[in-house]
Amino acid sequence: MNDLGKKLTKMAFEDLKADYLLVVRQEHGDLAPAFISKDEDVGEVRFDAPYQLVTVLSRIYPHIPTGKIAIVSRKCDELAINELTKRGILDEKRIVKIGLACDGHTADKCRCPDPKPSKVDIGEPVKGIPEDPLVAKLMKMTLEDRLKYWVRQFKKCNKCFGCTANCPVCFCENQCVLGERTLVSEKSIPPGLAFHLVRSFHMSDKCIECGECERACPGDIPLLALRRMVHADMKEMYKFVPGDPKTVSPLLTTLEGEVMEDEHNVC
Amino acid sequence: MPRIGVFICHCGHNIASTVDVEKVAEFAKTLPNVVVAAHNMYSCSEEGLGAIRKSIEENKLDRVIVAACTPRTHEPLFRRNCERAGVNKYLFEFVNIREHVSWIHAKEPEAATEKAKMLVAMGVAKAALLEPQEESESSVIPVAVIIGGGISGLAAMSALVSQGIETHLIEKEKQLGGILKDIAVIGPEMKNTKELLDKMIKEIKCSPKAHFHLSSRMTDMQGFVGNFEVTITGDDKCSEKVKAGAIIVAIGGREWTPKGEFGFGKIPGIITQLELEKRLAKGDVPDNAVFIQCVGSRIPGRDFCSRFCCNASIKNALRIIEAKPNAQVTILHRDIMSYGTTAERVYRDAAEKGVRFMRYGLDSLPKIEKHGDGLSVEVFDETLDDVIGMSVDTIVLAVPMVPIENVKDVATQLKVPVDKLGFFLEAHVKLRPIEFATEGVFICGTARWPSQVSECIAQGLGAAAKASIPIREGKVKIEPITTSCNIGKCIACGNCVAACPYQAIEIIETDGKRHAFVTEAKCKGCGNCVAACNNDAMQQKGFTTTQLSAMIDALVKNAMEASQ
Amino acid sequence: MTEFNPTILAFCCNWCSYAGADLAGVSRLQMPPNVHVIRVMCSASVKPEYVFKALSEGIDGVLVLGCHIGDCHYLTGNHRTAKRFPLAQKILNDVGIDERRLKLDWVSAAEGEKFQTVITDFVSQIKQLGPNPLREVRF
Repeated sequence: MNDLGKKLTKMAFEDLKADYLLVVRQEHGDLAPAFISKDEDVGEVRFDAPYQLVTVLSRIYPHIPTGKIAIVSRKCDELAINELTKRGILDEKRIVKIGLACDGHTADKCRCPDPKPSKVDIGEPVKGIPEDPLVAKLMKMTLEDRLKYWVRQFKKCNKCFGCTANCPVCFCENQCVLGERTLVSEKSIPPGLAFHLVRSFHMSDKCIECGECERACPGDIPLLALRRMVHADMKEMYKFVPGDPKTVSPLLTTLEGEVMEDEHNVC
Repeated sequence: MPRIGVFICHCGHNIASTVDVEKVAEFAKTLPNVVVAAHNMYSCSEEGLGAIRKSIEENKLDRVIVAACTPRTHEPLFRRNCERAGVNKYLFEFVNIREHVSWIHAKEPEAATEKAKMLVAMGVAKAALLEPQEESESSVIPVAVIIGGGISGLAAMSALVSQGIETHLIEKEKQLGGILKDIAVIGPEMKNTKELLDKMIKEIKCSPKAHFHLSSRMTDMQGFVGNFEVTITGDDKCSEKVKAGAIIVAIGGREWTPKGEFGFGKIPGIITQLELEKRLAKGDVPDNAVFIQCVGSRIPGRDFCSRFCCNASIKNALRIIEAKPNAQVTILHRDIMSYGTTAERVYRDAAEKGVRFMRYGLDSLPKIEKHGDGLSVEVFDETLDDVIGMSVDTIVLAVPMVPIENVKDVATQLKVPVDKLGFFLEAHVKLRPIEFATEGVFICGTARWPSQVSECIAQGLGAAAKASIPIREGKVKIEPITTSCNIGKCIACGNCVAACPYQAIEIIETDGKRHAFVTEAKCKGCGNCVAACNNDAMQQKGFTTTQLSAMIDALVKNAMEASQ
Repeated sequence: MTEFNPTILAFCCNWCSYAGADLAGVSRLQMPPNVHVIRVMCSASVKPEYVFKALSEGIDGVLVLGCHIGDCHYLTGNHRTAKRFPLAQKILNDVGIDERRLKLDWVSAAEGEKFQTVITDFVSQIKQLGPNPLREVRF
């Protein structure tokens, strides 16, 4: 194991008393997630590229009935964990975060505005990119041009569902409504605009802008830009930012801004 | 494969004068799953209904569509008709081509016919996906709660306890009687109020089923028809909870206080009708008086008539003359509202006994001034076309009855609507009076609309009659428009739980899988959960996503094709 | 050039807007014949997915009409509606579909005239916006 690996195993198993550790490491010349327990070799840990670990966490979590899980968590991981814990999908008492500040190279790749988690345990924080240039360009376009742009982009979609599979807050998995014909009736591939509009709506109160969807898309559709635009709308209209640990969703509250906290947390 | 029958109604000229009914029927024949399409002159008539039943039998139909007026009136009729012919009544779909087509596109018959075709296509698409439903039942607690111990509340209570129904009455004052406590005699026939109230209360108290909660208010109400829980809190802050099957709202109104009209509050000797009642009860009778009717009512912002004030003034005018035969009493009015034989007779009597009636207009209001120890009144009489001056010692302002101060709070607790003025809105003025759209809650008396005492009593009896129906039946039918969760599609995200306004949904675990569960008796069928559900797991009976999506598809297909 | 005749979908809630539409009919208030009503129990049951589906399939405009805030037959039902649809409009705008093709409004059971105005204005608006550009797009 490398230095970073040694540091993390000590932090996770000795300091935080976790039972498991979730990291990203080098494997076969590329990056892969690793879920290790106390006495395993964590390998060559690498965090110099974007990788949403919460996607992995949420998929394996149902199969780990007990034990504390330490996860190396960047800002986006932290937000994703908040989104999942407030919906009862993860038990926050079982998750311990090791805060990782992203390096400049990674932050650039994600066009991230704020690459610093709330508590930094590893890494030197860097400044983020305040404005996404693609979003700025799209907002300046006329409505007609923008629609032409997105139609051209969405024609590349082949319904691989890579965006949903890699999304950390997309927890519907097999029950995803986008796989059905009722609401997204276009049988064709590419699936038509309704698919992307419905996804944007469903993501509006969850998306933490990690950019995994864009990186996963084989058609190179700039999905992150669309998510950013919707995020800006949510912020403007409802002062809501996904990753908010308290409010589940402004779409489920009354006009006065009252949060129905206790009702929801029944689950 | 569903077998759909489509029946287009002419409704006489109402639909057929604009919509080409035959063309619509021809078009309907081309739609998928439609086995027969016909048109009738009046589908709701015995003949029309019979023709539909015959067609159901002959063509072995299992889905029926009627394209006619509005489902809000005739849906129950056509549903029962289907049932008679052996088709589950929820396999019926109503398409509105009268209120929504022929009556509003009267000058565009071609476009109206096209629109009717589209709507029928949408209805057919939905009908093909309808599922048979059964109404489920919920039991009813055989107790009634009446809020308000005025005359209408008491009338309701007497009717309920005389049927042997356990009834709780909540009254915020120490005594029963409401506004009538302050009125000694009720017009038009000069009935003694105390006798009336005492008699009613005595009769009620004879029953062991009658329970009074005086100096108390309703502080909370939960539940639904048949299963309400009402929290009653006394002035001493002690609370008790009463479970009930029906609730009657009889909270009454209050006399509006003038804001300085005609010198009220500034010039002594100007009083309201209730103040006059109190004075007359003490024997303090004016030597001469002027009544001014419609003060603060029948004007913009409060444009209603309170119905009883003319009779009240006439009654009080006659009382003044009886006590002091030489008294000069004048009633200044903007129309006299004394309807019914008794009231008309009393009005005539009053005029014959010397009460003067003068009509004034809004553009020439009576002028009031202090004049020595008394008051002077100058009014332009419309009939005489001249200004008349009078000297009086008392001016009585007949003001409207308005809702009580905190009526909105009560309305919110009961989850029932009030109109702009604050009077309660019943379900439908003609088809469903005295009851709210919220089942199990009823309204009577002046909280609903200012009324005469006899009308309040009648409404109280009516509300009691309606309230006793679910109590006597012991059960209520729940219309199958409730929602349910498809466990296979549910991921227990909790959106529906948060969205439900009735807190009818919870997350439970079945066979190791967490999912949402709807308590059907609490579900009112709003469908909020359906829209909140991202996974298409929540479905509303009769309005499923497949059904509504099919309607959208039908519109797209038929409209786009037509425009191609 | 033939005048553009829009195809518009409207979701009306049973207790208020559908009744308001009926009242408009009873009062014989005339309006353009482009709007097709789907009756639902509450405006809160209208899924934004329906709107996205309709617009992406080529419907020119969608109206969602509910009870006034505070008057919903189902208490806070329309409060949720009031949150969902402005967001749906913004998403349409982000993708390049004119958000004015979706309109949320409140019509009570007593407002036949308001129903007439809402319909007439919306049809004019859609006529001005022109046919839904997605009609011509073949994915």
